[in-house]
Amino acid sequence: MKEMDAAACKELRKKIYLTAEKGGLGHLASCFSCVEILYTLYHKVLHISKETLKAADRDRLVLSKGHAGLALYHVMALEGLMEEAVIDTFLQPGSHLGGEPCMRDLEGIEATTGSLGHGLSMSVGMAMAQKMDGLSARTFCILGDGECEEGTVWEAAMSAPAFHLDNLVVILDCNQIQKMTTVEETIGLTNWKEKWTDFGWLVKEVDGHDTDALEQVFKEENTSGKPLFVIAHTIKGKGVSIMENNPIWHFKLPNRKEKKVFLAELDITEEELE
Amino acid sequence: MQRAYLSKLMELCEKDSNVLHLVADSGTGYDEMLKRSLPKQMVNFGIAEEHMVAAAAGLATAGKIPFVYTAGAFLAYRALEFVRDDVCFQNQNVKIVGMGSGLSWCSLGPTHHTTEDVAVLRAIPNLMILSPSTPNQVAACVEQAYAHKGPVYIRIGMSNEKEFFAEDYKMPRNGQDVLCEGRDVLIFTTGSILEEVMEAVETLQAQGITATVINVAQVKPFDTTFLYEKADRVNAIVTVEEHNVQGGLGSLVAEGLSDRGIGKRLYRIGLQDTFATGYGKNQKAVRKENSLDGSSIAMRIREICQ
Repeated sequence: MKEMDAAACKELRKKIYLTAEKGGLGHLASCFSCVEILYTLYHKVLHISKETLKAADRDRLVLSKGHAGLALYHVMALEGLMEEAVIDTFLQPGSHLGGEPCMRDLEGIEATTGSLGHGLSMSVGMAMAQKMDGLSARTFCILGDGECEEGTVWEAAMSAPAFHLDNLVVILDCNQIQKMTTVEETIGLTNWKEKWTDFGWLVKEVDGHDTDALEQVFKEENTSGKPLFVIAHTIKGKGVSIMENNPIWHFKLPNRKEKKVFLAELDITEEELE
Repeated sequence: MQRAYLSKLMELCEKDSNVLHLVADSGTGYDEMLKRSLPKQMVNFGIAEEHMVAAAAGLATAGKIPFVYTAGAFLAYRALEFVRDDVCFQNQNVKIVGMGSGLSWCSLGPTHHTTEDVAVLRAIPNLMILSPSTPNQVAACVEQAYAHKGPVYIRIGMSNEKEFFAEDYKMPRNGQDVLCEGRDVLIFTTGSILEEVMEAVETLQAQGITATVINVAQVKPFDTTFLYEKADRVNAIVTVEEHNVQGGLGSLVAEGLSDRGIGKRLYRIGLQDTFATGYGKNQKAVRKENSLDGSSIAMRIREICQ
């Protein structure tokens, strides 16, 4: 992984934390889990720009695990697709920016998400429309592993291969943790590779924090005729040691003592926090 | 009504290649022609209504105009959150067409009855609700849904409904038609139960009671012009619906009267906060069992007018 990318992702985590702290709430751990995924997609893969936000042949990204919205906003801002000033309004009175992406108020958000199990189905519709219109554009969808407990995920999982949507890419942010505990403890087996392969997808596995590996997997030509399912192995809370792999951080900000760790590990000064 | 719906939809599909016919294993003999001549515009999602509704929202983001078609109960209840979040909140140009309204699925029972759909769906912002009563009205509603850019729910019956409108019927601006004028009672009704209401009106007339019948094809937004114009001229106002009286047409009229401070007694005929009972080979039998057939309605209105 290049130093530049690592630095950019560290800066993103810092900004995500500062915005959540300023707003007073945030799904930090879920955001930190998919920083590299979002960064790689917007910075290196998606054919999209400020000018082409509405172009019919743009690539689309749906954040099905909508609670990582804050990560999406900051990555979009980094790529010039959203004003930093808009992000400053996060959770402020009259704001158009909350914890879950909402397309009513924000240009560039492809789908309103928040209730889990919706994004992949909407992505199927988008990818289908791209095919109907003869476009070479792709639709990307970021799914949580806990989210796979929703039944509609599997309705969509069956239908995308049936419709031959090889322009659809699903990235499983596989951090193994949901709100209360681990995904494994909640639903037992988590053999995603076998499951999605059986459903008719081309499945690849990748280190979800390695931007080079992610880039490669997204750019490899898909000649299988199948939709692509990328299992991105990630760490929930990645980047702050006390938050990593601990479910209690699902929807929590650090207390005074914990804050010191955040500041130290994310290179944040006391002044920046104020 | 199914045949009327599909032939109108086929016309739209031929005219506009963005119009799509989406089904959840819910195709019938009637859409064979559409499937044969316009295969690219028909998609079967399989038995997966929630997924189909969400995917329709995705298709609409790219300028497609999906008409999602399956049993109303599976759309209004099972897929409710998908209708709300993906179609209505995002204000997508998706048309949700629930067939088998009211007790049309007479042989299958309450899991298939669609007797709370208006109540459930009219609480959702951005959604227009159309409830045609006859095949010719179905065609006009489909036309209106297509012309309206935004989410629409159309509840349609099954088959063999009696026709009360001309072949070239156009939907009035307020979505309501006055079918007859009388001096004793003002009746509002919606959906295919219109034929029972008209039968009741005929019976009542023979007994010296005359009625004004207003058929409401556009349930939401609900226009109150006729209600306010005619409420004072009659002794009683009655609503008749093949739906729970809670949250449906009866509630709409009650709200209209109350908003204007009109202290007129309203009688709501419909399912009285119950699930319908009984099974039958035809809809009329199940209507009768639930006191929603022409003679039961006539009897009830006679009581009201006495």
